[in-house]
Amino acid sequence: MTDRTDPARTDPQPSPAAAHGPTSARARAVERLQRYGIFLALVVVCLALTALNEFFLTPRNIVNVLRQTSINGILAIGLTFVILARGIDLSVGSVVALAGVIAASLATTSSGAAVAGGPYPVAVALAAGIAVGAACGAASGAVVARFNVPAFVATLGMLSAARGLTLLYSEGRPVPALTDEFRWIGTGDLFGVPMPVVLFIAVFLASWWVLGQTRFGRHVYAAGGNPHAATVSGINVRRIRFAVFVISGALAGLAGMILAARTGSALPQAGVAYELDAIAAVVIGGTSLAGGVGRVTGTVIGALLIGVVNNGLDLMGVESYYQLVIKGLLIVAAVMLDQTRNQRD
Amino acid sequence: MKKLLSSVAVLATFAGPAAAQDDPLKIGAALYGLQAEFMQIWAEAAEQHPAVQSGMVDLTIFDGRYDALVQQEQFETMATQGFDAAIFAPIDVEAGAEAVRIAHEAGIPVIGSNTQVNSELLTSYVGSDDTRSGYMEAQMVLEAIGCEDGGNVVIIEGPIGQSAQVQRLEGNQRALAECPNVKVLEQQTANWSRAEAQTLMENWLTAHPGEIDGVIGQNDEMALGAIEAIKAAGLNVEDFAIAGIDGVTDALTAVKAGEMQSILQDARAQAQGAIDVAIAAATDGDYEPQSDIWTQYPEMSWEGGEASYYDVPWTPVTADNVDDLLATRQ
Repeated sequence: MTDRTDPARTDPQPSPAAAHGPTSARARAVERLQRYGIFLALVVVCLALTALNEFFLTPRNIVNVLRQTSINGILAIGLTFVILARGIDLSVGSVVALAGVIAASLATTSSGAAVAGGPYPVAVALAAGIAVGAACGAASGAVVARFNVPAFVATLGMLSAARGLTLLYSEGRPVPALTDEFRWIGTGDLFGVPMPVVLFIAVFLASWWVLGQTRFGRHVYAAGGNPHAATVSGINVRRIRFAVFVISGALAGLAGMILAARTGSALPQAGVAYELDAIAAVVIGGTSLAGGVGRVTGTVIGALLIGVVNNGLDLMGVESYYQLVIKGLLIVAAVMLDQTRNQRD
Repeated sequence: MKKLLSSVAVLATFAGPAAAQDDPLKIGAALYGLQAEFMQIWAEAAEQHPAVQSGMVDLTIFDGRYDALVQQEQFETMATQGFDAAIFAPIDVEAGAEAVRIAHEAGIPVIGSNTQVNSELLTSYVGSDDTRSGYMEAQMVLEAIGCEDGGNVVIIEGPIGQSAQVQRLEGNQRALAECPNVKVLEQQTANWSRAEAQTLMENWLTAHPGEIDGVIGQNDEMALGAIEAIKAAGLNVEDFAIAGIDGVTDALTAVKAGEMQSILQDARAQAQGAIDVAIAAATDGDYEPQSDIWTQYPEMSWEGGEASYYDVPWTPVTADNVDDLLATRQ
């Protein structure tokens, strides 16, 4: 566990093997397997599906998988920040719905659902959706960081409150007739790449840079790995804890708007249980729920693995219930791998 | 804001202005959940019933929050508070029976509405036959692709085992059996969800390129999801025969655009009809129904409010009536 007690280390993705000094070839191989195991799993599943179904490895299907993964992927990236800092965010599914209906009400031509004076330019709607998400995250983050309420409890409260606010705001009805400009973030494309995928990649690259290359990123790892040591070494752990929830909330807001733009209406019952798939992607991707260890690349691969499995089973006409079973097995297998690593430390 | 709060609240009372009657009838409506549009329309129509507006009836709407146990507890509450009648739209056909028993023991007549409950103790039921709508929507799709010519359809189902899914599928299959040349390529649940149906349809379009001619969505939301998937794949929605059920607002708009067909499930008739039947059950004298739905659907005869089953007709949404229907949703 030495890697968790050294907040000042510059390697943002500490490897257990490296922390033990000189490494044998075998230890290096084990470490490599843990590091790239999830990626190997994705490759193996993709090869298997390519062999089993002629349509799997076609450009259109790959685009489908990426598009279907993008919303869960964006949520999971937000959760990676929170979980690295030793928190959890259960509220993202409700925040998806809340940001969706509020942003949509600014970008609809429907007379019944629009905010007076609408539809507003798409930039206003987008900014509002992200602001709503960030505000939900800030509320959860403040409760966690300022009042030391466990993140599980604070975000459980937000899960319920944000859903209630969504229903109040929308009167339980969908917000339909979104402007073409708003729908573009869900249905448009940039040089042939669907917008949800473009946004997913943009969020991934930005997060990868923040976590891997910036001081803030190092502090997130430190605050999650060993909050006490981080505090002693001068890191404002409270501020970090607060900030990760704001990031998660803002990304949930973005995901909510993409969902509304894709489905054509913002539905108040959207996003129910989305937090579970997002947490699953983070965990399958190798980020430790104990905080301080993990990487956003793993999360993205975890999300892709879930998306590929669902897509492949649909292509083969397998009942959706198997998808749930397989996802469950993946989650448990991933955490078992994580546990064996911890025991070896 | 006031309307909004009262319709969402777990327990909201819509008392009319100072009632002419000394003692308004206390009627509770236990609905399975208020998070989807259909039940919202139901609740609003109930609130608009003339007897509720005049203060003759003191109506309380209970949000069952999609939980059979929550609904049962709400019936316990109604029993304790001595309600005169209850209207019940259960989340589950079997689990609702215990709630009906609780009301029965407390001497409260229970009128089913919208969703079925498997109980002998139900006083009456005001709802629409889901087998019928399943048959009608499948027929619409089959007619569009040509029963004789044949073709391929996919069925997007509701949550497996829920009464609406079971009965709509039965209707779907009855219509399909009449067209042996039409093949069902895929059949899977999307849990009434637009987003889930969209993913499913995207994957099916990949697995069966150029083969799918029709989409039978067991509700409008899922049919709308299929439309979005078709658009996202760069295909022409007009090349597909698509039908859904319920007549939610987005579906009405899609019908108007010529993208799909839908069948209106009349939430207003179900709600106001159930209130009239509940008043009849709670009063001894001859009660004459006050809602205009009885003149709107003359084929649904009143029979003194004593029939055990009132079959609210389904109305296909067409180019002729879609504008009128949309006007009621503003």
